[in-house]
Amino acid sequence: MARRRRGLVLLVLALVAAAVMLAAPAVLDRFSLNVLTRAMIFAILAITVDLLWGFAGILTFGQAAFFGVGAYATAMILTHVGDSAPYVALGLVAAVILPMVVGAMVGWLTFYPGSSAFYATIISLVVPIVVTQVIYSGGTFTGSSSGLVGYWGMPLSLEGYFRLAGVVLVAVAFAALVFVRSDAGRLLTAIRNNETRCAYLGINTQRIKILLTVVLAGVTGLAGFLYANASGMVAPENAGFVFGTELVVWTALGGRGTIVGPVLGAVGIGYLSAELSGDLPFLWQLLIGTLFVLVIIVLPNGLAALVAPLKAWRKPPPPPTLVALPVTVPRRTGTAPLLAMEKVEKSYGSQKVLADITLTVAPGELVSLVGPNGAGKTTLMRCMTDGAAASGGTVRINGTAIAGMLPDAIVARGIGRKFQVASVFEDLTVAECLRMARACHETPSLVAAAETLALPASAIDILRLTGLDRMLASPVSLLSHGQKQSLELAMVVSLEPELILLDEPTAGLTKTERSTIGTVLKTLTAERGMAAILVEHDLDFVREISSRIVVLHQGRLVVDGTVEEAVNADIVKRIYSGGGHE
Amino acid sequence: MSEVLETPVTTAKLALEGVTSGYGHVEIIKDLSLEVRPGEIFALMGKNGMGKTTLLKTIVGLLPARRGRILLDGADVTKRGPKALVDRGVAYAPQEQPLFQDLSIRDNLRLALPSDKALAAGLERVYGHFPFLADRLAQKAGTLSGGEQKMLIIARAMMTEPDLLLIDEISEGLQPTVIERIAAALKDERANGTTILIVEQHLAFVLGIADRWAVMKLGQIDDAGAIGPDTEARVLEHLRL
Amino acid sequence: MSLFLDVVTSSAVLFIVATGLLTIFGVLKIINFAHGAWLTVGGYCAVATTQTGLSPWLALPVAFVVGGVLGILTERFIVRPLYARPLDAILATWGLGIVIGQLITLIFGRDVQFTPSLIPGTVDVFGTAYSAYRLFALLAAVVLGLGFAFLMEGTRLGLSARAVIMNETLARILGLDTAKIRTVTFMIGTGLAGLAGVLLTPLTSVDPNMGVAWLVGSFMLVMVAGESFGTLAVACLLLGGAQVVVSTYVSPILGGITIAVLAALILRLSPKGFSRA
Repeated sequence: MARRRRGLVLLVLALVAAAVMLAAPAVLDRFSLNVLTRAMIFAILAITVDLLWGFAGILTFGQAAFFGVGAYATAMILTHVGDSAPYVALGLVAAVILPMVVGAMVGWLTFYPGSSAFYATIISLVVPIVVTQVIYSGGTFTGSSSGLVGYWGMPLSLEGYFRLAGVVLVAVAFAALVFVRSDAGRLLTAIRNNETRCAYLGINTQRIKILLTVVLAGVTGLAGFLYANASGMVAPENAGFVFGTELVVWTALGGRGTIVGPVLGAVGIGYLSAELSGDLPFLWQLLIGTLFVLVIIVLPNGLAALVAPLKAWRKPPPPPTLVALPVTVPRRTGTAPLLAMEKVEKSYGSQKVLADITLTVAPGELVSLVGPNGAGKTTLMRCMTDGAAASGGTVRINGTAIAGMLPDAIVARGIGRKFQVASVFEDLTVAECLRMARACHETPSLVAAAETLALPASAIDILRLTGLDRMLASPVSLLSHGQKQSLELAMVVSLEPELILLDEPTAGLTKTERSTIGTVLKTLTAERGMAAILVEHDLDFVREISSRIVVLHQGRLVVDGTVEEAVNADIVKRIYSGGGHE
Repeated sequence: MSEVLETPVTTAKLALEGVTSGYGHVEIIKDLSLEVRPGEIFALMGKNGMGKTTLLKTIVGLLPARRGRILLDGADVTKRGPKALVDRGVAYAPQEQPLFQDLSIRDNLRLALPSDKALAAGLERVYGHFPFLADRLAQKAGTLSGGEQKMLIIARAMMTEPDLLLIDEISEGLQPTVIERIAAALKDERANGTTILIVEQHLAFVLGIADRWAVMKLGQIDDAGAIGPDTEARVLEHLRL
Repeated sequence: MSLFLDVVTSSAVLFIVATGLLTIFGVLKIINFAHGAWLTVGGYCAVATTQTGLSPWLALPVAFVVGGVLGILTERFIVRPLYARPLDAILATWGLGIVIGQLITLIFGRDVQFTPSLIPGTVDVFGTAYSAYRLFALLAAVVLGLGFAFLMEGTRLGLSARAVIMNETLARILGLDTAKIRTVTFMIGTGLAGLAGVLLTPLTSVDPNMGVAWLVGSFMLVMVAGESFGTLAVACLLLGGAQVVVSTYVSPILGGITIAVLAALILRLSPKGFSRA
């Protein structure tokens, strides 16, 4: 109920804002109407920059290019083809579709497996330069350096354009706010926080980022359409990278990650610039530049951070109710072992980290992987979950060789991996983290935050045992180290994997927390038929819970046997008293 | 607990008083106290993941101590950063990425000194322990064998003629002959008055050179004593699987 | 012959312009987006030197000093808090670039200024008359490259800087003053950028935005080059050469995007650029 009420409040606010937009021309002079119309169109762009940078963490200067493509598509159709109503409509369609096509190409180029956030920024510099040069080279077709001017667009008055731009801005801002509060919207924050974790929850982050780029290119193109109509002219600067940087400046000053902040930033700076630039043109730019530098250094969340304390009185949305999913019997098909590694090796250059590793794991087993530092334990785990990790041999999951497969595809085959350093999403709540873990089973809603959270019974058990079930609404950043470890374990278990890999799950935990995790693991394997592989230094813990121990030493598997066999093996004694080298 | 925590007559070379440190939310070292006496070789042992390396990083100031004090010759050096400790005569031979792989042996040794003035004298000193270095100054450190790299690490730590030498798992993966050469070098340094704190898993090596020992468990000193006939049995009890 | 000279000298100019950016990126892993502003500062140092009636050659040391001093202040107050936030460092330095550009406008006005060529006229090269200054630029690039190679390989400061690049933790363990090394590196980078600004003046007019046009090109070249001056030279020759060829035979406008597009493709195929080879 409380959630619905929040949605309603937002809708009412949006309607009020739209009404203000419709009424405002009555009290504004021509100059202000002109300036504000332009500023509001640019505010739409600032929203797209905010979604990409503030939420998804992709710093982009490239929105200007999509804007330019949309504006030029409109202006070129109106100039060269015709300016009657159908052509205006054609202009609208072209202004949205063309940027989306360019966005798809740019997204495909930018977001590939293993791409860095930095590469996206580099590309976002290249695209506006390319678009601008194409415009320059277009001769009379694009108007070259002087742009296109003197065409007729929609038959609207100054007031009409103000109202149109205002209503579109309100609609885009409303849609953006609804989206970022929805379960799907939180996915952007999750990607920004921890893309690796997303991939290991089976989420194809590249696809999501490409999709986001494409959709926002369309929105940007729509703004371009409005601009081409309202201003009656387009120029190469509209597509240039300097304009792209201005969008980022507005977004940063207003407050990234808030949607409303960037809107106010764009409108406010746009308006003040027009007011003041006549009297003190350079001083004004100087002021903006100085403010921008200061904000980036001391107030990274923008001026919106100054009013953030005011939000404290507003009650956070209630957490969803936990619902247990019916217990499913692991769907075993065929007789292949869960995990079969054969002669796996890994080398970095001439240095061999793993050699001749052959290992099989069957359902219900709890295998502990032990060995001194640098023995290759974490590397071995990586070879089980990343098709590009091993440099030789084969790794099969349920009979399928995983060579060349990406982590998200391997996870989808029934593997869950818990990292050594708790890998969760710092800016989400506990409940939101858990929902991300279910995202590949249950597509999150684009418009709403669900009121229930359905998790496997074993995940709920973990939450109960660790008290996290009473902290569903807590931000992850406030959790203790042990709670984060437990949360990550609950997330991985929520994937309903058949095989779970745990890298030092007890490091830095208290005794109580250790025994809780030990109990959970025993239950999962002995009663639910899951298999687990555990890298662990605490050998007391290992002895207590393992059904089998594998000892790795200098990249080779030296012991594979029961707890008794491992503890009494001569080589193990030698390794642990400091000898053990050939 | 035992004699190691009693106050010695002279000022400790290095004293830790209730030191706590770690990474992020994790506290690896918990309220740990320890004293290393002037001119001794002190061996810190314990299984992997018990906080030995973290302790060394905290001592040299790579990792700030969250609570407690670190005293060098009685002076408080807590949170002063590595440069302050180097300036006070501390040298540290780390275990992880201990060499500039792409730099020559000469440049690796050179970087230990604040200027090139003392280079010739420093090189002469380390040639005495590890003569092979003299003929291969131009060779890149990354192309040395594992044992040679370890000797270079020790040599570099000796370049500044330190008063206190901290060494992390130098014997790991080494052949007995190399271990012997390193042990001889360390004994020589002790004879010159250098205090040495070694973190080790190799018990035989420790028994051969150390004066006192301690075993760490979960960020604290679990047991400690002077090296004696009972040391081997006592330490093994702590180290077994 | 003329095409060959164009390729070589254009690459040389690109190399001169990009060195300051590479110095900072190579050691500090920070993109100085105010690099363009430093080029502009250098350009105006040339203008100011000429206006006061001094030898235009004097602008070179003046620009290095002015650029360097500005660099020290920038590193201390703007860049140092942002080493852990490299993307924000790009933005903050971009903002600084705006500030510097506006300050220059306030002092010198926004009009285009011209400076006399340091070396006017042409020289006969194997029967082709060629701009003497462009040939000088080639010489300057070689001197810069060799000078920098000596600084990095032959001096203790260079050794320390390389140690910080390779393994900063170890550098700190050995007692190197990494904060000082960072400041000095930044200073050298911005000093070189100022120097480059002076060297550019005979080739372009001087206005408050002159540097911005060079920023993206040098940024792309540095991204492709990685961290070494050798690979930067290769990148300038290949990409700069391609630019000259495309501009001459296809269209100058397409030539304008050659470097950016090639850099984007190279980095897509080999994310570390040339430095991986």
